[in-house]
Amino acid sequence: MAETMLKIEDLKTYFYGDDGVVKAVDGVTITINKGETVGVVGESGCGKSVTSLSVMRLLHDTPGEIVDGSIEFQGKNLLSFSEKEMRQIRGNEVAMIFQEPMTSLNPVYKIGKQLEEAIQLHLKYDKQKAREHAIQMLKLVGIPRSDEIVNEFPYQLSGGMRQRVMIAMAMACRPKLLIADEPTTALDVTIQAQILDLMRTLREESETSIMLITHDLGVVAEMCDRVVVMYAGKVVEETDVYTLFEDPKHPYTRGLIGSVPKLGKNANRLDSIPGNVPTPSNMPKGCKFAPRCSNVLKVCLEKEPVLEKVEANHTCRCWLYQNTETVGV
Amino acid sequence: MLKYLIKRLIGIIPILFFVSIFIFLFVHMIPGDPARLVAGQDASLQDVEMVREELGLDRPIHVQYFSFVTNILQGDLGTSLKTKRPVLEEISQRFMPTFWLTVWSMAWAVIFGLLIGVISATKRNKWQDYLGMFGAVSGISLPSFWLGLMLIQLFSVQLGWLPTGGMDSWKSYILPSITLGAGVAAVIARFSRSSLMDILKEDYIRTGRAKGLHENKVVWGHGLKNAMIPVVTMTGLQFGFLLGGSIVIETVFSWPGLGRLLIDSVSFRDYPVIQAEMLLFALEFILINLIVDLLYGVLNPQIRYE
Ligand SMILES: Nc1ncnc2c1ncn2[C@@H]1O[C@H](COP(=O)(O)OP(=O)(O)O)[C@@H](O)[C@H]1O
Ligand SMILES: [Mg+2]
Repeated sequence: MAETMLKIEDLKTYFYGDDGVVKAVDGVTITINKGETVGVVGESGCGKSVTSLSVMRLLHDTPGEIVDGSIEFQGKNLLSFSEKEMRQIRGNEVAMIFQEPMTSLNPVYKIGKQLEEAIQLHLKYDKQKAREHAIQMLKLVGIPRSDEIVNEFPYQLSGGMRQRVMIAMAMACRPKLLIADEPTTALDVTIQAQILDLMRTLREESETSIMLITHDLGVVAEMCDRVVVMYAGKVVEETDVYTLFEDPKHPYTRGLIGSVPKLGKNANRLDSIPGNVPTPSNMPKGCKFAPRCSNVLKVCLEKEPVLEKVEANHTCRCWLYQNTETVGV
Repeated sequence: MLKYLIKRLIGIIPILFFVSIFIFLFVHMIPGDPARLVAGQDASLQDVEMVREELGLDRPIHVQYFSFVTNILQGDLGTSLKTKRPVLEEISQRFMPTFWLTVWSMAWAVIFGLLIGVISATKRNKWQDYLGMFGAVSGISLPSFWLGLMLIQLFSVQLGWLPTGGMDSWKSYILPSITLGAGVAAVIARFSRSSLMDILKEDYIRTGRAKGLHENKVVWGHGLKNAMIPVVTMTGLQFGFLLGGSIVIETVFSWPGLGRLLIDSVSFRDYPVIQAEMLLFALEFILINLIVDLLYGVLNPQIRYE
């Protein structure tokens, strides 16, 4: 059995707003082993980013709160960590890349300084050594003229270059786990491919575990070992990447796969899922996907299914596969 | 950078030219006859006319303006009608007290304003925020002469800790600079609070935290440097209010500065002094604007001086 890097169990992160509670993450279980890349997919708003921010305990300044569940990193329960202990983890053992390269770098600090901050903090390098390491990291992520770039400001770089800088920053302290929250979504297609290439190369060299958040199944197919499909704050299916594309179980997953435009085929998104993600105030009573589901049963509207093993290495939250005896209907 | 500075300094010349026209016309519209004032209330009409001629006030207005400008260019600001001493001497004597009063007011206004602003922004909707903003609203809405009088009443009259006025020791600076700086501190506090609150929502703040930086470093480093960009402009504008405010404060605290000189010279219709003071105020304003623009570039790397 591979060494477990991250184990999120039954995580619940709620937002307390003026008009009630938003259950952004409502029982998410994800396990990531050493050296493994796990994709987290789902439509916008299903709680992917909140899950990742919960792992980093970066919900400051939001009305969000982790209300239940556990997050274990290398066997240590992150939820019991003090803020000080968390700071030693962040940017060091667990690093993060965000979706928006254009706004994720501080506009008033030079690139070099922004990299060196984490390097000096975690690796305890002196200024000069930190600078050398920063330049080396920039070289590693394929930035030309890296010894000059350290003295430049973010606005002087393109979006793709900035995302490379973010990756350099994230990898600088050799993290054991990299959380990449839609790292290529904001980039155009050719740059996307370059960034994914880069991430693959870095992964092979460093054996870093990656939690790759995306709503693009193309990215999943290219990058991931295993996939977790999320819908409305819950995991609805989990399996390895081959099984996911060969034999998807959940109607939502099938819909997602169907909505990927394929080359040569009619790319009219004929199979794309009709309807919208339910709003928090309008959550269905039973299965959250029932109102959009083409295989909906009577029970789906009344009772929520649980995440159950349908095959070895394949779990699914759907009445179509539910073992009725264990659930007791 | 140097080229930009020279360009800006040259640009001041035409501005000052227009300002001088405006000031000249303005001063000449002040009701009251300076010749009569100089000659005295009981002087004969003939004497008044003689004085008028002596002062050159009988000449057409554009001629008067022309000699006003040429004299200034030669460093001659005229003679005070009241004291008969050169205006330059009068003003330079009064400049330093006002300068230091302004500097001290500004210094503590910036320090406390930022401190309150940052604390309020990071503790928003907690008691620190409410207290800070209550203080700020008070600072903005209390008339400064009233605040000055209250401070004198408390610290000078009742407790006897600080002098009521004058400029004898460092203690004399405390009350006037607090009074003068209060409004500015309040504006800076409110402005930096809202500016920083917006900045703290930015993605790069989250990046800073995700690096493992201490929250203080995130707020005072990454946050404040960005939040300062609008605050600096605001603070520059406040300098202008300080100049105006000093007129009231110097009267309340018997401060031997430019503000009181202006009050005295206006009531005496000492127009050479009035003109010179107004010109000086305008020049200060222009220079502060220039400094603000330069500071802007220090804070915001995207600004290039061409
Ligand atoms: N700062 C916030 N304040 C209130 N609600 C939030 C906040 N961030 C996220 N949410 C809620 O959490 C839900 C999930 O958001 P998110 O995790 O960002 O989705 P995504 O899967 O697109 O990354 C959103 O629909 C929203 O209602
Ligand atoms: Mg997201």
